[in-house]
Amino acid sequence: MSVLTVKNLCKTYPKFKLDNVSFELEKGKIYGFIGRNGAGKTTTLKSLLNFVHPDSGEIRFFDKPFEQNELEIKQKIGFVSGAANYYINKKLHVVTDVTKRFYDNWDDEVYYRYCEMFALDADKTPSQLSAGMKVKYSLALAMSHHAELLILDEPTSGLDPVSRDDLLDVFLDLVKNEGVTLLFSTHITTDLDRCADEIIYIKNGHIIAQSTLDSYIESYRLMRFIDVSYTPIGALGVRRERNGFTALIPTSATSGREMEYDKVNLEDIMLHIEKED
Amino acid sequence: MRNLINKELKLALHPTAPLFLVLAFMLIIPNYPYYVAFFYMTLSIFFICLSGRENNDISYSLLLPVRKRDIVKARFITAAILELAQLTVAVAAAVLNHRLNNTGNDVGMDANIALFGLSFVMFAVFNYIFFVGYYRNVNKVGAPFVKSSAAVFVYIAVVEVSAHICPFMRDKLDTIGEEYLTEKLSVLIAGIVLWVGITLIALKKSIALFEKEDL
Repeated sequence: MSVLTVKNLCKTYPKFKLDNVSFELEKGKIYGFIGRNGAGKTTTLKSLLNFVHPDSGEIRFFDKPFEQNELEIKQKIGFVSGAANYYINKKLHVVTDVTKRFYDNWDDEVYYRYCEMFALDADKTPSQLSAGMKVKYSLALAMSHHAELLILDEPTSGLDPVSRDDLLDVFLDLVKNEGVTLLFSTHITTDLDRCADEIIYIKNGHIIAQSTLDSYIESYRLMRFIDVSYTPIGALGVRRERNGFTALIPTSATSGREMEYDKVNLEDIMLHIEKED
Repeated sequence: MRNLINKELKLALHPTAPLFLVLAFMLIIPNYPYYVAFFYMTLSIFFICLSGRENNDISYSLLLPVRKRDIVKARFITAAILELAQLTVAVAAAVLNHRLNNTGNDVGMDANIALFGLSFVMFAVFNYIFFVGYYRNVNKVGAPFVKSSAAVFVYIAVVEVSAHICPFMRDKLDTIGEEYLTEKLSVLIAGIVLWVGITLIALKKSIALFEKEDL
């Protein structure tokens, strides 16, 4: 069963366009939704739940169209969009008490476990929390009703490296132990290197890749050269470095050439791809 | 809906709402434009929406497993509860007024049954103009309140002046005691009918506007 299917999602703004965005999520995998700032990540995620109204396209959660099954679908998903900046002067336990009543499967035990893990003090208000702690609070709220799909918009932004690492452990546990599906947008590529099964790459409102992380990384190599006027044929996204230039090249195009190629990581790919028009 | 109302009362309710309920006792002031007491409740409803914007109430509500239309409905029910609560407190104040000063109100309408009917209409004017404007763009709370307040004050001016110059209002509605009870009760019932009808129309329009909005 497909957990989420997005087909030909279009939304036009005066200066930006989501153009035929399509992707599909399968159960029990972590999907990294990557793209630079302004590429369309948040607009896409907001369109999924109809916060933003797409001009056209089809969105199905658990093989059911969203509009006709909104309540049932929202019970089965958790959505976090940045830090908990709502009701900043109410104590966390008050906000939690109000929120949990909405969920049929709310689990206090799970919630308190996350509060302990994230060192959240229920007597504090969001205004007394740092940006990172606010993110942790919204994650604790979203992950305590046994959601089958978690949609997280930049959940690791604002977190210190140790907290980010802890959170990625939580994500891996959720997928392994509970079969949760996770879609999270980020521009911090190292997070994805560690935990993503697949990546969905959006650039200027277009999905330019959906692939397993390993095969995506394997599909490119990095080449180095000194003189930009002798840029090798097939080089993508030429980028200046201290001692020359680097560019990506599709792995399939490397055979038969007498050059040395380096393996790449997601950040290398992103930095070069974004240089291309 | 019960959970959303719980959210409205525990998170969204502005502290001025219960405070302004007490202002219904302005009806015991001997000579005063009593509609002003009810205007305070519209101010409080505006504060709920204003502090909702500062507290990202809409973003929070959208994340909950509720329909967008129910978010609007819950806000309307909250406003209706507050308006009815203030009118209820005002009944006690009006009774007290009759005990304390049994001479009528020289400034405007007496604190009688017809005043309540006309106040229902005042709330209806507010509900329509404020909420339809607010749900057109939930990030702009001030402009709908300015518009609704302007309309409410024009309405107050018209009914208060009418209480002095319009013979039916002056001689029958603006009287104390049980005189002209039929006329006064008719105004009350008409006021309630208009309040319910106009508020429901405002709700329907607000839902349609909110559903269309990109948030």
